[in-house]
Amino acid sequence: MAEKSELLPGTLDMLILRVLARGELHGWGITQRLEQLSQSALRVDEGSLYPSLYRMEDKGWIEAEWRQTENKRRAKYYSLTRAGRKQLEKERELWERMSAIITTVLQTA
Amino acid sequence: MKIARRLRTLFRRRDVEAEIAEEMRFHLEQRAADFAADGLAPADARLAAHRKFGNLSVIQERARDTFGWGALERFAQDLHVAARQLLHAPGFALLAVLTLGLGIGANSAMFSITNGIMLTPLPYANQERLERVWRATPQFREGNFSAADFMALREAEAGYGAFSAIRPRAASLADQGAPPELASSALVSANLFSLLGVHMELGRAFQPGEDIPGREKVVILSQRVWRNRYGASPDVLGQSVRIDGEPHEIVGILPVSFNDWRHLGGVDFFRPLALTPAQAADRQEHNLRVFGLRAASTDAPRAAAFLDDVCARQSRAFPAENAGTSWWSEDLIVASYGSPATLVLLIALSGFVLVLACANLANLYLVRTIARTREFAVRAALGASPLQLVRPLVAESLLLSAAGGAVALVVVSGFHQWARVRSTGDNGEQVNFNLDPRVLAWTLGASLFTALAFGLLPALYARRVDLNDTLKSGARGTTGGRSTQLFRRLLVVGQFALALVLLSGAALFIKGLDDLHRRQGGWDVSRLVTGTIALPAATYSDEAAVRAFQRTALERVRALPGVEAASFASYAPYFYWGEIVKFQIEGLPRPAPGREPAARVNTVEDDYFAAVGTPLIAGRSFGPGERPGSGRVYMVSQSTAKAFFRGENALGRRIAPATDGVAEWGEIVGIVGDVESVEPDADHVPHQIYRPIAQATRHGFELLVRARGPEPAALVPDLRAVMATLDADLPIRALRPAKTAIERSLYQLGVLRDMLAAFGLLGLALAAMGIYGVLTRTMAQRNGEFAIRLALGAPAREIARLVFTSGARLAVTGSALGLVGAVGVARVLEANYPGIRVDGPVILASSTVFLLGVALLACWLPARRASRLDATRALRAE
Repeated sequence: MAEKSELLPGTLDMLILRVLARGELHGWGITQRLEQLSQSALRVDEGSLYPSLYRMEDKGWIEAEWRQTENKRRAKYYSLTRAGRKQLEKERELWERMSAIITTVLQTA
Repeated sequence: MKIARRLRTLFRRRDVEAEIAEEMRFHLEQRAADFAADGLAPADARLAAHRKFGNLSVIQERARDTFGWGALERFAQDLHVAARQLLHAPGFALLAVLTLGLGIGANSAMFSITNGIMLTPLPYANQERLERVWRATPQFREGNFSAADFMALREAEAGYGAFSAIRPRAASLADQGAPPELASSALVSANLFSLLGVHMELGRAFQPGEDIPGREKVVILSQRVWRNRYGASPDVLGQSVRIDGEPHEIVGILPVSFNDWRHLGGVDFFRPLALTPAQAADRQEHNLRVFGLRAASTDAPRAAAFLDDVCARQSRAFPAENAGTSWWSEDLIVASYGSPATLVLLIALSGFVLVLACANLANLYLVRTIARTREFAVRAALGASPLQLVRPLVAESLLLSAAGGAVALVVVSGFHQWARVRSTGDNGEQVNFNLDPRVLAWTLGASLFTALAFGLLPALYARRVDLNDTLKSGARGTTGGRSTQLFRRLLVVGQFALALVLLSGAALFIKGLDDLHRRQGGWDVSRLVTGTIALPAATYSDEAAVRAFQRTALERVRALPGVEAASFASYAPYFYWGEIVKFQIEGLPRPAPGREPAARVNTVEDDYFAAVGTPLIAGRSFGPGERPGSGRVYMVSQSTAKAFFRGENALGRRIAPATDGVAEWGEIVGIVGDVESVEPDADHVPHQIYRPIAQATRHGFELLVRARGPEPAALVPDLRAVMATLDADLPIRALRPAKTAIERSLYQLGVLRDMLAAFGLLGLALAAMGIYGVLTRTMAQRNGEFAIRLALGAPAREIARLVFTSGARLAVTGSALGLVGAVGVARVLEANYPGIRVDGPVILASSTVFLLGVALLACWLPARRASRLDATRALRAE
């Protein structure tokens, strides 16, 4: 197994939003999808995941609904709201600008 | 959405927590299934999943925080812990809550008085623009108007707004089948109620034109009379009642809110002030109280300019009466409660009580916190942040203050009950004390203030606890650091300073008031009975009829076996006589108009001086020779004689009222002792002159009887019976021993005295508790030190001295500081009650001695205990 990286602080929300943008998922699904998308390079800490989900739910970026999974288990599914979509756009823009700046600085300094 | 969810977390907490738990369980199961798929045994897979997930309950807690009421919940938790802490120390909690309750209660009670008197509006819709108008003379700023002056104001009123006048006058009220009653009544301008903005509860106000003689036989009753006399029956409207023997039609009933102590609440009924042309032109009698309603366009400076202008014109036209006068006005509510200085003083003193209570608590609390130093150190060592250390302490003080505030509300309502009874006027008028929002807000504010005042200090101390030192210092008791010690001593010093101010303030006032009660300058209250009689003008049409009644009445009263002397007079000696007349002196140049000497004038029967006990100093008293037609005669008081004639013999000299017309000279036939009233205000009229009642009687007068026996009250039924034989319809008002009358009239001061006394005692108790508490605590903590001293051979006496002096020094320092404040209080009382003689130095000295005595006792108890310390045991306990 390759070395896993901790997330940069403040990026978890953005990544969750991005994952949810492709369709609703439960908490477990989100960790799975994030690991899968990052080709197992990212490790998502459950201790941060759930507080982050609840916080975003509280802010109205995502909403939750209890539903049956394919295996007939009850699970809480999260989906993106309009506000969440807007937030994702904002965070993505910010991220891109920041990373461009950081890259420039790193390359020219 | 958000709020709905928040509320859900608040009220359906269990559901929310169950959901969080279920969601995480699902996650764990999935993870375990994942591991199992990788080939782990099911049990191992579950364990691995748990390991990977981390501390489940911490995560759940963090998740809950997001949803929940984080800060609030933590606060509730703090309160919960604090409550448990306090329940573990019930003695401390009880003492603290009671101290706070009394402190906050005293303060809030005082505020509610101020609220009832100064802040609550008068029951008049037009209060904003209502004014009391005064006519100031060089001697007296707050004088009333003559009818002619009032008419002049009325004629010019377009430049101001509107004016209205009141003339108070006792009158008898009688109707079919009920005994007559002498009631407090007032004659008022027809526009008075519309000017005030008062709407009748029933019926109507007076109509324009009802103040014209011949049309004035209508009456408006107060709510109180309507209820007490007529059982609140609406049928009384249109009924006829006899007032001073003449039928009047009841046209209106005042609302209950009118019964306000501050203004006209004491008046039982109102009639129109109907002045005949001759009465309206009168410039001699200044007995109209004038009120004004400023027009919306008239501001205060314009009103002042208007009054100046009318006054100047009157002074030019009628210099004899009006030269040297000036007219001015002030807001009616300000005029109705007088000087706020006493209230401010009381609020300040009650504030002292509160501060004392806070100081006591701060001290107690600090001691308690210091005793818990190790606990704080341990908690800090386990990683509690300074904020986390302090939070439960703040919660504790908040809890105590809240409980104290609740006790305070009980104290305040109890006080209201007491004050309602004590401050009900002679005629049932009341101060309206209510637990209104202002009082509640004040109590809340005071509670928060105390929470801050006594809770913050220990909190600051707890933040500064030195971990290392404390944990290393072992179990040995600690007295706190040097600065904490100093601070606690300062608290005690401050307490004593405040306590002395309270105690001496109370003592000064109580002493002054007792002097006032006991003051009998020029008269003798013992065995004296007084009452007021008003003969109805309808039955007793002229002076001759009144005199005939008076002569027969006196004959019969004097014939009673228990009567030593009896007299009629316009006024009883112990209150200010209402009649003030300016005089000129024969043979001396007449002073500029308005500058003539003014004297209070009493109209008396021959026997008056014997009845009230005023000594005759020279000449003779009035006698049977004085008749309506005979030459005018006067008697003057000793100091008046001296001032008028500059030491020359006054007997045989002549004086006359200072008028514009022909002087009516009268001879001075006798000189009597000066009379001093029991009223707390300084008298602005220094002179006293007597006229024979035979030459100038009125329909209303006082009956003054000196009893033979020591119990003057026993005479009252006999006197009533005698009067009833003369005129069955005749009411006598307030027939009672003079002592009772004086006490009744000073009842407001009595209320004040009782409150000051309560403050003083509270302050004393708090200060004594404070010093006792500090000493016992310090002593307990220094037990080890004392034991070592004893073991090394120090005599027990020495230990006692050590404890005693350390306390006594604080008490003496504090009292010395307090003396400064006490002198200030004495000054305020002196300035506001010039009639009360404040014997400053003696009282200040004795209260200081008393306070120190209590303090020394409070020091002596712990000192004695220190001297009985068992050294061996104390050392072994180390």
